[in-house]
Amino acid sequence: MTAITTAPPAPIVVPRRRRASLAAPLATLTRRRLALSARTPRELVVPLLTPILFSVVIAPALAKVTGAVRGIDYTSFVAIGTVGLLVPINCMFAGIGVIVDRESGARRDLLAAPVPRSLVVFGNLAVALAVSALQVVALVAAAVLRGAHFEARASGVALFALAAALLAVTMYGGAETLANRIAKQEEYVGAVPAIAIVPWFFAGSLFPITALPGWLAAFAKVLPLTHALAVMRYGLLDGRATGLHDIWGLTNATVMATLSLAVVAAYAALLLALAVRVFTRAAVR
Amino acid sequence: MQRTTKARTLAVEVERLTKIYPGGVDAVKDVSFAVAAGEVFGLLGPNGAGKSTTVGMLTTTIRPTTGSARLLGHDVVADPLGARQVSAVVFQEAALDRSLTGRRNLEIHGRLWGLSPPETATMIDDVVEAFGLADIVGRTVDTFSGGQRRRLELARALVSRPRVLFLDEPTVGLDPRIRFELLDLIGGLRQRAETTVVLTTHYLDEAERLCDRVAIVHEGRIVALDTPDNLLAGLGRHLVELRVDDVASSLAVLRQRGLAGEDAFAVGGTLTVPVHDRSAREAISAIARLDIATGGISARPPTLDDVYLRLTGDRLAA
Repeated sequence: MTAITTAPPAPIVVPRRRRASLAAPLATLTRRRLALSARTPRELVVPLLTPILFSVVIAPALAKVTGAVRGIDYTSFVAIGTVGLLVPINCMFAGIGVIVDRESGARRDLLAAPVPRSLVVFGNLAVALAVSALQVVALVAAAVLRGAHFEARASGVALFALAAALLAVTMYGGAETLANRIAKQEEYVGAVPAIAIVPWFFAGSLFPITALPGWLAAFAKVLPLTHALAVMRYGLLDGRATGLHDIWGLTNATVMATLSLAVVAAYAALLLALAVRVFTRAAVR
Repeated sequence: MQRTTKARTLAVEVERLTKIYPGGVDAVKDVSFAVAAGEVFGLLGPNGAGKSTTVGMLTTTIRPTTGSARLLGHDVVADPLGARQVSAVVFQEAALDRSLTGRRNLEIHGRLWGLSPPETATMIDDVVEAFGLADIVGRTVDTFSGGQRRRLELARALVSRPRVLFLDEPTVGLDPRIRFELLDLIGGLRQRAETTVVLTTHYLDEAERLCDRVAIVHEGRIVALDTPDNLLAGLGRHLVELRVDDVASSLAVLRQRGLAGEDAFAVGGTLTVPVHDRSAREAISAIARLDIATGGISARPPTLDDVYLRLTGDRLAA
C-alpha cells in the first residue's frame, strides 16, 4: 500500500542561484560517479585480478626460467608491464558505467542540467583516474611483496605517475568514446579484450619490443601503451632507458622520455577531445 | 522593447518550430504556441505525434531544424544553459541513479542546478515532505516501486525550483490508483510559486483535469489549441452515436433533415453527431425515426477524444 500526501505543497522561498565556477558542478558529478562506482565493487576489484595474477604468480615463475631481461629482474620488469594491462582494463570497465547511465541511469537529467555537458565526461574521467591510481598502488605493492625491486627516486616516481596518468586519460577517452558509439553493453564488453588486452602483448609488456618481428615492432612504436610503459620503466626500474632506446634509438634518456611522454599526451588530448565531442553530440539529437 | 515585455509575461515562446530527423522523418512541423507564466499547458496527442520531440527541443536535448523557442526569454539554441537553468524535466521513462539513495538523487540535482548545500537540503526536506517520500528517501532507488520512482522524479524536478517544468507523459505505466494520486500532486504544482507546467500526455482525463489550455497534436502539427472547455464546446452539449450501413448516405440524410451539421463525423461504421440546439433525447428520437441505424443509438457528453477524432479521424488512446 503506497500512501501519498495529496495536500497542496506549502509555498517555498525561491532559493538564489549561483554559478560562480564550474568547480562545484564538476565536484558534484565526480562524487556522483564515485558513489556509483563504490556501489559496484566488482568494477574496482575485477580489473585488478589478471594484472595481479601476472605480477605475483606468472612473472616470478617465468623469472625462474628466463632470468633477467637486459639486467632487469623479470618479476620487476613484468610488474611494470602489468600496469599497462591494469589501466586499460580499469578504464574500459569504467566505460560500462557510461552505458548503464544511458540505458537506465540519470543521464538524461544530467543533460538537462544548466552545466556544460562536457563536465559529465570530466567527472567520469576524474574517478577513472583516481581508481586507476589506487589500483596501480595496490599492484605495485603486491609486486614488491612478491620480490620486485624498484628505484623510488622522486623524479622517477613522478615520471611513472605522469606516464600512468596520461595512459589512463588516453584509455578513458577511448572507453568513453566507444561507450557512446556502441548501442549495447554486450557489444561494448565484447570489444574490451581487443582494445584493452591485445595491444598489451605488443607493447613491450612481457618482453622488449625488439623481440618482435620488424613490422610488429614498428606497429608497437605507434601504440601509446608502448611509450607509457617505456617511460614508467625508465622512472622506476630501467635507469639506462633501454625501452625508450628501443623506440627512439637515441642516447639521451631525458629527451627520449620527453618525446614518449609527448606522444602519450598527444593521444590523451586527442582521445579526450574525441570523447567530449562524441558525448556532447550524442546528447543532442 | 516588445520582446522584453513578452519575456516577462510569457514563460514559453515557440515559433515555427520544426524537427526533421536524419533520414527525413519530420517529427514536428511548423509548431507555434506560447505559454503564460503560471499556466499549465498540455500537448495532447497519441504516441508518435511529436509531443516528446517538442519537449526535447525545449529542453535542449533535440536540436530544432528550423524555428525558435525561448524559456523565459532564453533561446534554447543560442542560450541553452540559460534555458536549462530556469527549467526542469520529468522524463517519460525513469532517469534515476538506481543504485543511489533517493536523497542522493535529489542532492545531485540541486547541486547541478546551482543550489548551495544548505539550500539543497532545505528544498529536499520540503519536496520529500510534500510528496510523501520521507520514509523511503534514504533507501536506494532500486527498492522503490514504480509509483515511488515517479514521485521521486517529480520531487527531484522541483528541488531546483524550476520556473518552467516539463512533464513528459508523467503517468505512463502507472496503475490507476497511483496515477490518480500522482495527478493530484501534479494538480497541486500550480500552487507552488507560479511554476509554469508544460505537460505531454495521451490521456484525455489528464489534459482535461490539469491543463488551462491544450494543444492537440497530430502528426507533428498542432491541429487545435484552446481551453478544454472551449474545445469541447465546439462539439455541442451532447454527441449522438449510431451505427449505420452506409456512412455517406446516412450522413447526407441527417444533414438534409437538419439533424446533423458540418461537424458530424464518421469513424468506420459509426456516425457521431454533435447536438447543439436540442436535448439528447429529442435528437435520438428524431434520428431513430429515420430508420438508418443498424445498431443502438446512444448519447453522451463530448470528450477531448471526440475533438481529436473530429480533427484527425483517429482515436487518441489506440
